[in-house]
Amino acid sequence: MSPALQSRGKKISVPDNLYTVILAVAFVAVLATAAFVAYQCYAQYETLF
Amino acid sequence: MSTLTKVLIVLLTLTSILLCGIVVTYVANAVDYKDKYDALSSNYQAAQRRADNADNQFNKLKSETDQAKLDLNNQSAALKERISSLQADLKQAQIDRDDARRKEDGWEALVKDHSKRLEVNNQLTASAQAELKQIRAELTKEKAEHVQTTDALMDKMAIIDDLDAKLKRLLEEKTELQSQLDQMLRQYGKITGPLEPVTAVAEPVRVAPPAKDIDLEGLITDLDLKERLAEISIGEAAGVKEGMRFHATRGEVYICDVVILDVLPEKATGWLELLQEGAEKQPKVNDKVRTNL
Repeated sequence: MSPALQSRGKKISVPDNLYTVILAVAFVAVLATAAFVAYQCYAQYETLF
Repeated sequence: MSTLTKVLIVLLTLTSILLCGIVVTYVANAVDYKDKYDALSSNYQAAQRRADNADNQFNKLKSETDQAKLDLNNQSAALKERISSLQADLKQAQIDRDDARRKEDGWEALVKDHSKRLEVNNQLTASAQAELKQIRAELTKEKAEHVQTTDALMDKMAIIDDLDAKLKRLLEEKTELQSQLDQMLRQYGKITGPLEPVTAVAEPVRVAPPAKDIDLEGLITDLDLKERLAEISIGEAAGVKEGMRFHATRGEVYICDVVILDVLPEKATGWLELLQEGAEKQPKVNDKVRTNL
């Protein structure tokens, strides 16, 4: 078997770390949103809830 | 990791990012109701204070208005009284004016009368001045005559002075002669009668006035034979004068003479003369003395 065939027969896959990074980005986004909302609530109403 | 898990991870991430963006956008653009409430509350309180101030000012203005109204009522009453008094004054002034007009009419008539009298007086004054000029001319003439008369009078006055001096000298001589005559007659108990003026008119020779008796009578009240003095009971009040001679008698017998030396109002003292010898012919107290025997 030639290398080209070998490469043609192999599926391209994304390493799993990429999804971890994506989850981390999502977590950071949610955490930043929660912090922003909490700051705005405290700034405007002087209470978190 | 299965494909489904991967797909769910990717979808979860995408939806979370989308929702987070929506939430951030909403929160960032959300309205600050607390600020709005605070602003409205402060505006409300300010409006309330303004309303209170307005009420206070209204009440104050109302009280001032009431006070001003009361003052105006008082002033109105005072002005009404003033108006009534002024009306009374006006009536009195009208009465005075009418009186003054009547007096003016009277004074006008009086002035006309006085004007007429003044004209008459002017005419009389002119005539009087003419008469005055004439009288002055006569007065000047009379003054000249008066000067002449005064000169003549002065001459005659000088003559009268000379005659007065002569008359005075004659009177002195007459008085001296009269005193000598009285003294001589007094020694014999006589005085001269009342004088009658002797004029220089030529008339027949007249007899001098007859001598009459003095007829004084009194008593010897005291005696001093050593000094030959006697006091009699009559004095100056009865007409006794110094130098008079009294004859002392006792019954029908002549005793002596008493020549008066000193005279008092109620008695007199004299010198005894022509004393005789013999005890019975010596003067005694209570012997009569008289000027004429």
